[in-house]
Amino acid sequence: MCIDAQMLSAYLDGELKEPYRTQVEEHLEHCPACRNHIADMKAVGDRMRESDYKAEVLNRRKDDIFQMLDRKYFQDGKKVSFIRRRFEISMPSLVTAAAAVVFIFVGGFMFFGSSSEQTADILPAFAVQADSSNIRYVSDEATLDNFTLEEILRYLDDKGYNVDISLKGLQPLETVKAE
Amino acid sequence: MEIKSTDRDDFRLVYDANYHLLVQVIMHIVYNLEVAEDLTQEAFERFYVKNMTFPSEDDAKYWLLRVAKNLALNHVRRNKREGEMVEKVKHMPHAAQDDRDGEREAIDAENRREVRAAIEALPENLRMVIQLREFSGLDYKSIARVLGISETNVKVRVFRARKKLEEALGSEERDVY
Repeated sequence: MCIDAQMLSAYLDGELKEPYRTQVEEHLEHCPACRNHIADMKAVGDRMRESDYKAEVLNRRKDDIFQMLDRKYFQDGKKVSFIRRRFEISMPSLVTAAAAVVFIFVGGFMFFGSSSEQTADILPAFAVQADSSNIRYVSDEATLDNFTLEEILRYLDDKGYNVDISLKGLQPLETVKAE
Repeated sequence: MEIKSTDRDDFRLVYDANYHLLVQVIMHIVYNLEVAEDLTQEAFERFYVKNMTFPSEDDAKYWLLRVAKNLALNHVRRNKREGEMVEKVKHMPHAAQDDRDGEREAIDAENRREVRAAIEALPENLRMVIQLREFSGLDYKSIARVLGISETNVKVRVFRARKKLEEALGSEERDVY
């Protein structure tokens, strides 16, 4: 009995596992019909490959396309666009950056005081204006932070408010409550 | 070896190893070299843009083949209604050869036309399998991975495709001789 054609097809592709492969080989030795069948299948594959396009035709633009992709993704992508990105800073972040610089500069004078001598060392032209007497602290504006608790309470009392103060986590003594 | 699609050396490696394979697979679907080249480029761009890490070179190859196949099939479907047959034939590449090769070339062209007609007559599920097997020389395991089917299924489809092609091409051969 002859071998299943599907098995022959797999044998032709070298995809048949043992022990089937040996069995097929042994069968082929004395079966011209199966040999012909394999030859026919092989001929189909050969004709297909003959009809295939030549490698030099298919590969004619291989290098061009690589160069193009290389420029697009690996050269431009890394060098030029990095520089370009530096110029493409958005407006809000630019403003933020500027504000940060100003803050650090002004803050330097605010936190470490400003003696005319020090300023004169760093910025001679700015020294005259930057004298302590000329600097008005922004925080001098009337905010609650500038008053002590006592002052605030006295003010509210003056206005006729009845202020009750309790400390977080402290329970009033029972004796006091009993009064 | 692990492959990172945005690494230049890895990209070059994968490109060199697979360009021919991709353009060939696409070519046997679209039958137009310019289109095949454009789609091959597109496949590699997607490979880069996807920014993926593949466990091995083979995995990158299977991924690229899947993308290439889908790009090509989409292209054909898009253009089907436009009846591009005439255009396609016009764009069939003829390898520039000397005149003395003219006869040989004519036979090649005839064989190509017949094989193409036979392959185009195959149902799509058989067509990709036999093309990947005979043109690209992929083994059953690779074909299974590219198409997302089992190896047994590949075996069955290869056989069925062969049978149909034999019927389509073999009978003509007997007529000739």
